[in-house]
Amino acid sequence: MRIRAQRDDLADVLVRANRAVGTRTALPVLQGLLCEVAGSILRVTGTDLDMTVTTSAEVDVLEEGRVVIPGRLLTEAVRKMPAGQVTIGVKDNDVEIEGNGPRFTVRPLTIDDFPVLDDVVVDGVEVDGEALAEAVGQVTIAASSDGARPILTGVLFESSEAGLRMVATDSYRLAKKDLAGVGLEGTGLVPARGLRELPRTIGSSKVTAQLGDREAVFSSDKGMLRLRLIDGSFPKYQSLLPDTYPNQVILEKEALLDALGRVALVAEDHIPVRLKLTDGGVEVTVSRQDVGGETEHLEGEFSGTDEEVTIAFNPRYLQEGVTVISGDSIRIRVIDGFKPSVLDDGGEGDYIYLLMPVRV
Amino acid sequence: MWTEPILHVDMDAFFVEVERLRDETLRDRPVAVGGVGRRGVIASASYEARAFGVRSAQPTAIARRLCRELVVVSPGHGRYGEMSEMVFAIFRSFTPYVEGLSLDEAFLDITGLRRHYESPIDVARDIRAKIATDLGLPASVGIAATKFVAKLASEVAKPDGYRHVPVDVQLQFLHALPVDALWGVGPATFAGLRKLGVITVGDLAEIPEPTVTSSLGPTVGRHLIDLANGIDPRPVQSDSEAKSLSVEETFSSDLRGQDRIEAALLGQSQRLSGRLRRSGFAAETISIKVRYDDFTTLTRSVTPGVAVDSPRDLFSVGKQLLGEVDLSRPVRLLGLGGASLVAASTPRQLRMDSNERLDRLADAVFGVRERFGEHAVDPARLIDMQTEDLESDR
Repeated sequence: MRIRAQRDDLADVLVRANRAVGTRTALPVLQGLLCEVAGSILRVTGTDLDMTVTTSAEVDVLEEGRVVIPGRLLTEAVRKMPAGQVTIGVKDNDVEIEGNGPRFTVRPLTIDDFPVLDDVVVDGVEVDGEALAEAVGQVTIAASSDGARPILTGVLFESSEAGLRMVATDSYRLAKKDLAGVGLEGTGLVPARGLRELPRTIGSSKVTAQLGDREAVFSSDKGMLRLRLIDGSFPKYQSLLPDTYPNQVILEKEALLDALGRVALVAEDHIPVRLKLTDGGVEVTVSRQDVGGETEHLEGEFSGTDEEVTIAFNPRYLQEGVTVISGDSIRIRVIDGFKPSVLDDGGEGDYIYLLMPVRV
Repeated sequence: MWTEPILHVDMDAFFVEVERLRDETLRDRPVAVGGVGRRGVIASASYEARAFGVRSAQPTAIARRLCRELVVVSPGHGRYGEMSEMVFAIFRSFTPYVEGLSLDEAFLDITGLRRHYESPIDVARDIRAKIATDLGLPASVGIAATKFVAKLASEVAKPDGYRHVPVDVQLQFLHALPVDALWGVGPATFAGLRKLGVITVGDLAEIPEPTVTSSLGPTVGRHLIDLANGIDPRPVQSDSEAKSLSVEETFSSDLRGQDRIEAALLGQSQRLSGRLRRSGFAAETISIKVRYDDFTTLTRSVTPGVAVDSPRDLFSVGKQLLGEVDLSRPVRLLGLGGASLVAASTPRQLRMDSNERLDRLADAVFGVRERFGEHAVDPARLIDMQTEDLESDR
């Protein structure tokens, strides 16, 4: 195998494929990127078995062939070459990476150890790439990173009346997003960790999505992201969503984020921020025994059956939810200090962020 | 900001008072808890007995000579540990900053309550009232700017009172005390100080520092001079971090099968929850211990992200941990423990699967069990198991 291409074009396909390569892998060969050259195309594949990224680029092909090269070294070596043409080729069982002077010699990994991935027939529904990337950002914040409960590390994909519904929860909060007009068939639990990589690996203006029995596949003109589905059944979340909320307040999003930024100076995860919803808006208070506190008033429209209602949240959870809600205002609907609150943009929105309070 | 946010709460004649809860006839009489044998020593004396000169650490024989009517109760009848856990639970319901010194005394930092109370005196009054109404025990409280002044103040407050030492009269209060009231002044140091003509704390504050340090050494000397001037920067060290609580049992016949093992875990969840609640704690880390019939022992632990104290949560976490070990082998011993304890009053992130009604039920069950005994209410699964045990015993 031997190819030649512009440094920046090569670096782009390598860096994106390398995002699937883990630092700690079960098999040594998974530290490598599979580079396949046929016709005029270089195809690069990185995988950690749960997530697989394939990218490709048109290059000058001097010799066809396949080789597995340690991913981090290959990627960094190409990136650090002088600008201009870079050549990658196999010579005497070593890989040579050469660019206008510098030359690396790298031992390849055993190609026969590289996992054989099933072929995919791209046959999905087309989704607006930006809308998908936004949706991914909005739901994955609520997914758990705790490997002890694998089901909660996934995002549920299911079809709804509106289109595609995505739901994630770590049991302290839940995010639900409807992507209208996306007629994706089937149901599956897609790993949030891999999904977060979507914009950075194959993000594009048009993405094709498909959901199989064992994996979800996203493809675009920039490559393909394959995510192995998580086994198990997602919690029955519908029953957790309250039907009615006696109290609600509508706040300016920027003002709320600024306030939470000030709160964060005093609070840590385990120090809750208290919101007192009352006529005229919300009183925000945080206090910490060994540090001090902060308090302020936020203008807002309050309506409720209670004269006032106080609720406390983990400030980081609250901030993360407010950040991803699109629009200029935030509606917070509250039952009481012990039941889930729901945040959204106040309209007939396609996104809700449900947050459990902190009992104080 | 309060200038005197440190409390020292000291239970009055704790062992005696716990015995009095058990036996009403011990009230209003000189009573001591201690060894009744020939070499017995008094552990704790009631104030009626102290009036006769009975002191703790005194040989029982001497105490009896000083006070003819003295009733000596041998220790062990009373539920000292359990009552102490309940006293500390009350402390922690006021503040998470509790530093226990022994079963019956602790420092509390109540800075965090300044929004809720007019003054530290009101906090002290409430704590004393709660211990008296809930547990029927007397306690004395010292209120001061520093730990050691608070401890001296509670000594002065005894029995069944409180003493507030405002920071501006702190030195007057201190200087009038005998020097051996200071922490760290034992008989040897006391003798050294007497040679320097130091009788009261005030004397110590007046003599030049080199005189003290050359006689007692630089570290001790400097420290005592600081104390004599009311300087004690040591903060209240809440002792929850290091502590852990656990229950375990060795079974008379090995447990076989997942069902039996989980049922045993369920019982332990109830008991551990009871102990946690009694001491006012919730556990951030949960562990299990499994010993098989060949004595190989495994432990597994997890930190679920929220502190747990209810039987239901303990059981569900414990069950998850049991999933990590081989349950097809006979189990000789099973244990369930909680570590990284935090005050149950610290804010708790609620979960979507938390169930308020089940939590209230658990509270009610806990109340019933506290009052009528451990097996007054049991999960049906455990009752089955007890019946089976009875049958297999026959």
